[in-house]
Amino acid sequence: MNEQSAPPRRAGATGTYVYGVVPSDTTPTVFANVHGVDPKEPVGLVPRGEVAAVGSGVRLDEFGTEALEANLRDPAWLEDKVRAHDSVLAAVLGHATVVPFRFGAIYDSEDHVRAMLAERRDLAEALARLAGAVELGVGAYLDSEQLHARLAAERGIGEGEESGRAYMERRRLERELDDAVAGFAAECSRTAHDRLAAEASDARSNPVRASDDARRLMVLNGAYLVRDEGAFRAAASELASKLAADGVSVEITGPWPPYNFAAEAVE
Amino acid sequence: MSSSSSSALQQQVTLLELVDRVLNKGVVLTGDITLSVADVDLVYVGLRLLLTSVSTLEQPHGDEK
Repeated sequence: MNEQSAPPRRAGATGTYVYGVVPSDTTPTVFANVHGVDPKEPVGLVPRGEVAAVGSGVRLDEFGTEALEANLRDPAWLEDKVRAHDSVLAAVLGHATVVPFRFGAIYDSEDHVRAMLAERRDLAEALARLAGAVELGVGAYLDSEQLHARLAAERGIGEGEESGRAYMERRRLERELDDAVAGFAAECSRTAHDRLAAEASDARSNPVRASDDARRLMVLNGAYLVRDEGAFRAAASELASKLAADGVSVEITGPWPPYNFAAEAVE
Repeated sequence: MSSSSSSALQQQVTLLELVDRVLNKGVVLTGDITLSVADVDLVYVGLRLLLTSVSTLEQPHGDEK
């Protein structure tokens, strides 16, 4: 018997999963139609002062330390819980400001949640900073094959005759073209992000996702904190039509809870 | 590209964006059972499996001649 190890948790023991924080005057009915990470448990508020945690009960035989370790390796479980986490926060959008927490904050009791809220005065400041804003995601994808072919045509690199010298020359030009495509991608990423950031209260240019599809090379993975969604979308679609001629497609996701802007607000 | 495959692609993009946000962004405060550093590695194990299971839908369509 190891005296140092924590006592085993009783079967049926529960904890409180916390999704994020809202102003305490938020009406709890916004959660009436949403499932939490445990679909059997209602989602509600744990208020303390001017802020309230959005939480729901979880069973520790699903979310306790050992159970989590196994469940996190299960992609179906993880996808299900990630979707639930987001849908709870998304239910608040349009009704109140929300400071999203990262997946997996679980407290032993609501008293512990209240203790956390009492300790973290910066949560109220984060709510003030994010008030009235949503996050929009913008991805820009370059068809690099199309651009490559167009640049080749512009430079008169044809498919035709092929002597030994022409082959070497062609190899050199191909390398130049690859550099030109990479340069275009970098320039496109910068100008698109600057244009969109000008319409936003705050902006992040995140690392692009890798792709092995040359016709769908991600050049921008941006997140924007937006207060005037109409104006932002208008700017994005103007940008999209400008970039379409170069083989770049622009895709908007959201509105999201401000995931990308919450962590900096709470230091 | 057919509209059904492009909407499947769109759904995959949205799922990738969702997973990235919920697991990588947001405020990290210590709960009684907040994911520890080791657990975060586990999240990435699950995440990689999750992304592998959906990435087939992101493959190009109509490549075959």
